[in-house]
Amino acid sequence: MAPEPPLLSMSGITKSFPGVRALDGVDLDVQAGEVHCLLGQNGAGKSTLIKVLAGAHQPDTGTIRWRGEDVTLRSPIAAMRLGIATIYQELDLVEHLSVAENVHLGHEPTAAGFVVRGRAAKASTAELLKRLGHPEVDPGRLVGDLSAAQQQIVSMARALSHDVRLIVMDEPSAALDPDEVDNLFRIVADLTADGVAVVYISHRLEEIRRIGDRVTVLKDGRAVAGGLPAESTPTREVVALMTGRNVEYVFPERPAEPPAAEPVLKVEGLSRQGEFAPLDLEVRPGEIVGLAGLVGSGRSEILETVYGARKATTGRVLVGGQPLRPGSVRAAVRAGLGLAPEERKAQALLMLESVTRNVSVSAMSRFSRGGWIDRGAELGAAREATRELSLRPDNPAVPVRTLSGGNQQKAVLARWLLRGCRVLLLDEPTRGVDVGARAELYAVIRRLADEGLAVLLVSSEVPEVLGLADRVLVLREGRVVHEAPARELDEPRVLDLVMEGSPAS
Amino acid sequence: MTQHVSPPRGGTDKAAPVEGPPAWRVRLGRADVRTLTLLGVLAVLVLIGGITQPDSFLDTRNLQLVLTQASVIGVVTVGMTFVIVSGGIDLSVGAIVALSSVWATTVATQEYGFFGILFTAVVVGVGCGLVNGVLIAFGQMVPFIATLAMLASARGLALQITDGRTQVVTVPGVLDLAERDSYVLGIPPLVMVFAAVTVIGWLVLNRTTFGRRTVAVGGNAEAARLAGIDVRRQRLYLYLLSGLCCGIAAFLLIALAGSGQNTNGNLYELDAIAAAIIGGTLLTGGRGHILGSVLGVLIFTTITNIFALNNLQTDVQQIAKGAIIVAAVLVQRRTASTH
Amino acid sequence: MTKLTSRRGLLFGAAAVSAGAVLTGCTSNDPDGGDDKAADTQPAADDKPGKPVTIGYAGPQADHGWLNAVNEQAKKRAEKYSEVTLEVTEGSNDTAQQIGQIETLINKKVDVLVILPADGKALTQVGLKAMRAGIPVINLDRIFNSPQAYRCWVGGDNYGMGLNAAHYIGEKLKDKSDAKVIELAGIDNLELTQQRTQGFDDGLKNYPNIKKVARQAAEFTVESGQAKMAQLLQAQSDFDALWNHDDDQGVGALRAIEQAGRDDFLMVGGAGALSAFQAIKADSGVLKATVLYPPTMAASAIDLARALGQGKGVSGLAEFEIPSTVTCYSAVVDKDNVDQYMSTGFK
Repeated sequence: MAPEPPLLSMSGITKSFPGVRALDGVDLDVQAGEVHCLLGQNGAGKSTLIKVLAGAHQPDTGTIRWRGEDVTLRSPIAAMRLGIATIYQELDLVEHLSVAENVHLGHEPTAAGFVVRGRAAKASTAELLKRLGHPEVDPGRLVGDLSAAQQQIVSMARALSHDVRLIVMDEPSAALDPDEVDNLFRIVADLTADGVAVVYISHRLEEIRRIGDRVTVLKDGRAVAGGLPAESTPTREVVALMTGRNVEYVFPERPAEPPAAEPVLKVEGLSRQGEFAPLDLEVRPGEIVGLAGLVGSGRSEILETVYGARKATTGRVLVGGQPLRPGSVRAAVRAGLGLAPEERKAQALLMLESVTRNVSVSAMSRFSRGGWIDRGAELGAAREATRELSLRPDNPAVPVRTLSGGNQQKAVLARWLLRGCRVLLLDEPTRGVDVGARAELYAVIRRLADEGLAVLLVSSEVPEVLGLADRVLVLREGRVVHEAPARELDEPRVLDLVMEGSPAS
Repeated sequence: MTQHVSPPRGGTDKAAPVEGPPAWRVRLGRADVRTLTLLGVLAVLVLIGGITQPDSFLDTRNLQLVLTQASVIGVVTVGMTFVIVSGGIDLSVGAIVALSSVWATTVATQEYGFFGILFTAVVVGVGCGLVNGVLIAFGQMVPFIATLAMLASARGLALQITDGRTQVVTVPGVLDLAERDSYVLGIPPLVMVFAAVTVIGWLVLNRTTFGRRTVAVGGNAEAARLAGIDVRRQRLYLYLLSGLCCGIAAFLLIALAGSGQNTNGNLYELDAIAAAIIGGTLLTGGRGHILGSVLGVLIFTTITNIFALNNLQTDVQQIAKGAIIVAAVLVQRRTASTH
Repeated sequence: MTKLTSRRGLLFGAAAVSAGAVLTGCTSNDPDGGDDKAADTQPAADDKPGKPVTIGYAGPQADHGWLNAVNEQAKKRAEKYSEVTLEVTEGSNDTAQQIGQIETLINKKVDVLVILPADGKALTQVGLKAMRAGIPVINLDRIFNSPQAYRCWVGGDNYGMGLNAAHYIGEKLKDKSDAKVIELAGIDNLELTQQRTQGFDDGLKNYPNIKKVARQAAEFTVESGQAKMAQLLQAQSDFDALWNHDDDQGVGALRAIEQAGRDDFLMVGGAGALSAFQAIKADSGVLKATVLYPPTMAASAIDLARALGQGKGVSGLAEFEIPSTVTCYSAVVDKDNVDQYMSTGFK
């Protein structure tokens, strides 16, 4: 491309956290004055990558070159000194300070080295805000009193208050109204005209088409495509890169005959205000039903509402013909539901505890009498459940935090296996699971279904849903737009549905 | 984490099964480091006491004295440990001890004799715990705030009941508990109660579903809820338990001091939290050790004893106590990071 | 010894003030305190009703038996005089709240203020304010920072408590060679505790045969008294006398002594609690005496306030005005004179 070296060049960046490899050899080149879009599903590694770029995480391996020279970004301050500013999705502003104070936080204009020159700070802040198209924001106001869009402007003003050459924007349009988005794009255009580079992260493909120059797609911690032209690459190709597979998986065989038993889980007209429209679905014992959709389609919300972790606005959930008490997880668990949530560490695991105790926590009554735990029986039961799922290492006494992502997921599944649940709700079951360990997890899930469990599966990876589920419901913006047996669908068809929301059949 | 991506992980693991150390070694190893550290500190203290005051420190009466003095705060600390393990805090323990001790020693209560006093102390303690629990579990109040409010109001009520007066106990059965004649095989009854509470507390935390649920709620409340645990009810029970311990402690204090006073239990909350922390209980919840807490109490009581025997004054005692807390936490962070 | 005599002089004021009423005679052990009739040409306050006086009284929260007794003494004394109206505030330990209460009393234009501050230093300003508003202030016990903030200070003598305790113990042990005493002090970071200890140490210097072998500080509470005494008893297997700064913590100390089964020493208490008086009277244990920190000072303060309001001096003194400082004597109460004090003992 350009004859001079790229402004930023990251190559072979890897970063591992206990149990998961978040970045696995990522390359990223950014030219001065371009808008470089970063695309990827939740958990694809975007956040980790921008934290590496911001100096908040140190990469395990890999090199970062800045204007042709090797650099180490030891801290956010080091990155800032080079001219790299990051605007996070969760804005890192101090609510109880004024706009001007936030903009100049850490580099206040001072007299005699320590006296803050409040007037000068306000004046330069006003200047920046004007440049950003929001002259109406008073530099003296408290940030906590501003709207989300205004706060974002403040955050951007803060970035520009440094001598900035690269701005990373993490989903900047997520909290904005359409006309505010237009202003944002104008700002981005102004910046790039001045030679500033922008790394722009978004789920919205249409935005990327409007302002992007090039696109890098991340998936499972790898850059599956780098530097694609933003305007001319077909949408389907981009989505396929995001949701598709870079490794071909062998999915387990489906049973020849669709299960004939009565549905064990019935959802009737279930909805939640602002999240998803009334929904009907049935899952039979032995059947895996998949919900496919992009971020924001309401997938996780549906599962959590079925489970009682969120209270439904309308409708009801029946298990074995009996309606569940709404909004009660305990009622759902007692009726035989089990959830493997999306955020395993935050929502499912007791990270300080052993595998045994994580597995036994929902089934303690099975090996206790009068509240007294028979620890031998507990260990035996946990061992049996984890062995059945081939959890490694084969020692349930080890702390669960030392397990890999896939084995942590198995610990969650073992919990529900031990509990003896009838319906398993799986939210992104392979999120954070090493690519290599997924096939085994699929086999486990299928085996559980074959043994008579009903499985409701949510995944943002279309091939996963198509490969694993018997029947698929396609969601778009909280609505089911299509329902069909998985074998009658293919990836392009689902992608069309997910993106266009075209009417069923 | 292995470097290869495919083939699937399960296969390679089967080829070379990873065997960690056996379960008992893992657990014993961790328990050992922690408990040995505390026992080491205690041993050093005993050494210092023995060298500086060989006659008065190393004798049976002094052992009885130290254990007796540790009993009241020790029982409170067992309850506090449960609350902290669940991710909460109970700042009202000292105030509850005061209120229980005062309510149980009014003239009217003393007419009902031994069991009147015992019953009142326990019921008042549990009652305060119930209020704490309801506010926290169902009123969605932060434990710090709810128990701080209880601290203020229980102390206030205790003052109102007594008018600042010392209520002397005249029931012989209660007073006898803290006198030498009632020692069984040289063990003071108060110490027996303390030991019993410790053993029961240990068993409940480590061997029962109640203990497991407590740890789960403290370790990850959201995960516990999604695993089907009734988090709110568990929280309620925990503050009840802490209140119960305060009631028992109040009864022991009534026997020991022979009176009830609104100033009883002064700063127990801080002593109990400090003992639990040096005992290895995480202030953030999810992990706690009854034996560690009890060793923490014994360390503090022994320090006080050694300092008093050497006629050192309060200021020095307080400095030493602060230093021990910092040292214990630092040592634990070191040992924790090696696991 | 000059110190002692000058203290006598001061005590005389206090003794005379509370003389007539409560004790029908004199409060001190002083045999020559009987010149009441010396100067009756000046108008001196007496029991006869005079000009009506409204006295504002602001005390702290009675979270201790002694403070409770102080408040009671003030109220009872005021009831005795038909022409005296006492405006009593809700007792408070909160400085800001107490300031507010006193300002209310100033606005009500009471004739005289009696203030026992929760914190003497912190309430100096409001004392000044009252004085400037023309309302004379009787400052009770906890002294203000500035003498301009009060017309008259009435309080106890912490140094004298220690001194008199030492004298009492010294006389009892003067024939014993190598006698040992121990001290159970009050809250160590209070100035009054330091004063009591200083007085005790100074007093003991008169008795070279006596050595103070141990001192521990308790917290004025029964619980701490028991705990610290138990440790002291373990530390000192053999001693002859104990001085305990406070009778409230003494309840705990006596409990520890009973639990340890010790009776081989004599004990002197402090403050003057009813339970201590009763034990002294019964003479069945180690407690042989207690040194007063008399709550009757509040009654004296009311008397002084009344005299001030009526523009009179105090009977028994030649002065036209009431004194500016009245330090109450820390009398030693033992078996011989305990009956006299029984009614002032606080619970």
